[in-house]
Amino acid sequence: MHTLQLDRVHKSFGSLAAVSELSLAVAPGTIYGFLGPNGAGKTTTIRMIMEIILPDRGQILINGAPNTSPAVLDRVGYLPEERGVYRKMKVREALEFFAELKGLKKNAHKKKIDAWVERFGMADVQTKKMEELSKGNQQKIQFLTTVIHEPALIILDEPFMGLDPVNAELIKDVILEQKQRGTAIVFSTHLMESAEKLCDAICLINKGRKVLDGEVKDIKRGFGRNHVILAYDGKSDFLKNNGIIENYNDSGNYVEIKLRPGAKPQALLAAAMQHAEISRFEIAEPSLHEIFLATVKE
Amino acid sequence: MNKMWTVARREFLSRLKTKGFIIGTVLAPVFLIGMTVLPQFFLFLKSDKIKQIAVIDQTGAILDSLTANLDDRNAAGQRVYNFTKHEAAAETLPALEKMLTAQIKNGELDGYIVIPADILTAGKAEYRAKSVTNFFENSRIESALSRTVRAWRFQQSGLNVEQVQQLVRRVGLRTNRISADGKEEADQGRTEGLVRIMVMFIYAAMLVYGQIVMRSVIEEKSSRVIESVVASIKPFHLMAGKIFGVGALGLTQYSLWAGVMGLLSRYGVKIGSLFARDSASNLSMPAVAPEILLFFILFFVLGYFLYAAIFAGLGALVNSDQEAQQLVFPVIMLVIIPFLCTFYIIENPNTQLSVILSLIPFFAPMTMFARIVVQTPPAWEIALGLALLIATVVGTIWLVGRIFRVGVLMYGKRPTLPEVMKWIRYA
Repeated sequence: MHTLQLDRVHKSFGSLAAVSELSLAVAPGTIYGFLGPNGAGKTTTIRMIMEIILPDRGQILINGAPNTSPAVLDRVGYLPEERGVYRKMKVREALEFFAELKGLKKNAHKKKIDAWVERFGMADVQTKKMEELSKGNQQKIQFLTTVIHEPALIILDEPFMGLDPVNAELIKDVILEQKQRGTAIVFSTHLMESAEKLCDAICLINKGRKVLDGEVKDIKRGFGRNHVILAYDGKSDFLKNNGIIENYNDSGNYVEIKLRPGAKPQALLAAAMQHAEISRFEIAEPSLHEIFLATVKE
Repeated sequence: MNKMWTVARREFLSRLKTKGFIIGTVLAPVFLIGMTVLPQFFLFLKSDKIKQIAVIDQTGAILDSLTANLDDRNAAGQRVYNFTKHEAAAETLPALEKMLTAQIKNGELDGYIVIPADILTAGKAEYRAKSVTNFFENSRIESALSRTVRAWRFQQSGLNVEQVQQLVRRVGLRTNRISADGKEEADQGRTEGLVRIMVMFIYAAMLVYGQIVMRSVIEEKSSRVIESVVASIKPFHLMAGKIFGVGALGLTQYSLWAGVMGLLSRYGVKIGSLFARDSASNLSMPAVAPEILLFFILFFVLGYFLYAAIFAGLGALVNSDQEAQQLVFPVIMLVIIPFLCTFYIIENPNTQLSVILSLIPFFAPMTMFARIVVQTPPAWEIALGLALLIATVVGTIWLVGRIFRVGVLMYGKRPTLPEVMKWIRYA
């Protein structure tokens, strides 16, 4: 049984269809990338999953039960992109408040909160007010409130935004740990690099419609091994007016190239070596970034 | 439902602990006690000192009866005003005044009174002192002087002073209230005072606590914490939790104040009389009949729910306190108008206008309650008023619940009325 299942979910605001006939399924123990450009309908979809707004049509099942049935949403943790906190509330009180909003009884959440703040290195800030914490620490506390009740489904909207590398690592470790526990994680982002590293499967939506979904490795295979990654030092003239290149994404000393069908990668390498020093040459599957751009542009 | 209480508890506790609430709750009774006890206390402090006052009596005949008429005594039983007699003709007056002024400056004298020879006709005297701002002292001297001069005038006209005083005696009007069951109760204007205080309480609850609910919604909305909250609790339960939590806060505050007022009415006068023997102040509260208290709680709670829901809906519509100020005005008017109407209703509880005013649901918490206290209306009118009010409360909460659900997640532009209507239909 899938942890989360959307069946032809539809939502319009006036004449604008924010989400059209969206169907997807997330299995337990997987990290599911929910990707799309700004305004694609990601947040609307997540809000419908959380029953914050109601779909016009379609069905949303969590662990097989409609999300409208009582207590189902207590098994879901949600970190919204809009991160607000109760500024005047003490850290500990805020944690307890959200734990209780998720249905945890007072005697049940004490040990859990103790363990989590210890692990996050925040045991000594519990008596501080939320507004006294740094943005990064506020975000860690918010992340805590999404996992504290050991949910079956976690929805994270841009969880790494604004975090320093150390804290981003910490959050990533917790996400992977939750995955091991069998939790399904829906990970909404437009940062393709972190999605690429973490996700087992993705769904790409654009203008409210699903344009691509499936396991990441299947999707990449579908796009073919006609991508070349080059790290170079020197001029990039070989990229221009080259008959075997369909398109490319140049970052100055790192370029991802899509070749025309049938073109030989070695021919490209030979051309490149005439203009620049090559430190890396790799025939690869397209990155999610490329897939994203290619799909959304179409 | 449990989550609703979690929200209510947070609203209640987080506000209970704020400095503003504690200061406000403590200061109000302190202020009240101050108003009751302090004047008597100051009187007591002042009256200890004996005032040396010179009297320039140009009539040469007033001082003795003035002394008799101003016989205030301090705690030790000594005269508070000690008069010394001076006589001066028109030409020697300036020199005498100069001398007395010098005495005031060096502290030998507290002040002097100039009583001109024509005081019987002109009716004017002068009091000069270092400080003439003591209202109490001034009025004591003035009234003693008036009584003295009046008595003298009666004598001049050949009237017997005591007879005249008998003749101009005031008429006292004793008021008795006939209650619904036909019993007579002595009233003496207390019902009016009582109903004013109770209506004031309902008025304040609707305005003050209603707006606390509104600000609470705005705060969560503008800090964006609302999205995390409504992911865990249904917006309707969130709204209800807020209303209950803030309501409990209001009841706590009122109960504390009522307790203090109860104590004050029992002991306040006693405390006052420790300082001044003939305490003029009387703050004792009239006993509140149980059925009145019941109606009070009923209208208090219903009125609070009605306006707290309206204010919660307003909070959901706006993004900031500033925006709220523009929308809040009509609602405040909706509270102020019935409050002003109660002044008319207390005087005219049974006119057609009063009946209509007491049946309008948005007014009823104050207007119907005022009528019930002043002159209990027929049972069917109370029942109709209550039924309309309860229906309005339920309808408003339902309506606002729908607005709230959509509104709390709408950031940016404030919605127009047609948009709000759409929310109500589609939420």
